[in-house]
Amino acid sequence: MIATLSGFLPTFLTASVEWVEAFTIVLAVSLTIGWGAAAGAAGAAMLTLAALTAATGGALRAGLGVTTIQLVVGVFLLLFGTRWLAKAIARHAGLKALHDEEQEFAETRAKLRGGTWYAAWLIAYKGVLLEGLEVWLIVVAFSLKGGLWLGNAAAALIALALVCAAGLAIRAPLRRVPENAIKFAVGTMIVSFGTYWTLEALGGAGIWPLADWTLLILIAFYLLGGIAAASVLRLRLRLRLRAAAAR
Amino acid sequence: MKAFVKTLFGDAHNVAVVAILVAVSLGLIAGGQGAFAVYLAPLLAMAGIIWLAHH
Repeated sequence: MIATLSGFLPTFLTASVEWVEAFTIVLAVSLTIGWGAAAGAAGAAMLTLAALTAATGGALRAGLGVTTIQLVVGVFLLLFGTRWLAKAIARHAGLKALHDEEQEFAETRAKLRGGTWYAAWLIAYKGVLLEGLEVWLIVVAFSLKGGLWLGNAAAALIALALVCAAGLAIRAPLRRVPENAIKFAVGTMIVSFGTYWTLEALGGAGIWPLADWTLLILIAFYLLGGIAAASVLRLRLRLRLRAAAAR
Repeated sequence: MKAFVKTLFGDAHNVAVVAILVAVSLGLIAGGQGAFAVYLAPLLAMAGIIWLAHH
């Protein structure tokens, strides 16, 4: 039950982070080709994502057994979750720079300089499509197992509405969103679901001794493990820098 | 296309970590060690995540 119903929060959080990044690109493009055209490009990308979600939902459910779907979903969540959690740990430890929306905005503006209207439109379309692909992946993954397509799609759309409302209100990159903390939390949840579903698909429904409750233990394990790893890596980095400075 | 594939699957390191995790879990479960796999898999995943964070 927990495993089936709890897709809403990770979907909402993932979507919030991705839409913030997509909004920064659209905002930068809008200064070159205007709000109407930039919003049109974003709308076209959203329509592509909606079509992709509808198509994958129908096709995968029609052609694959429950165990196969669960394995595919589990592996995709592992691919996605390990990446997000590793990035969040590296950023928390200082091994990787924090994602900076102001910098992303400046880089997109630099790319647009001297380009054509069509090139700018394509940058907005591709940016929204690529950021949205991760949202699509999460909506599809949680919905294929739980079947809650509407609830998970609604989580992504609510996040979109909130980001658009906040972004349009301030008309600037949303840099105060605690992106790394959200990525840490989402990575933890997604890798927990990925581990749970992959092992259940490989070993059968009874493989986890505490059934669905194991998910809470897995989330606590990855969260505490991630925080501990980030602290150790940060300490190692500091010691290495201190040793280099002393030389 | 490259960006699309990377968005879906991540880089080669990421794929390798998940492939090893799934292969080890599958091997243990097929060998009748499913009870051990449920403890080893999260540890292996965490080790892989730390390795990815470090590289």
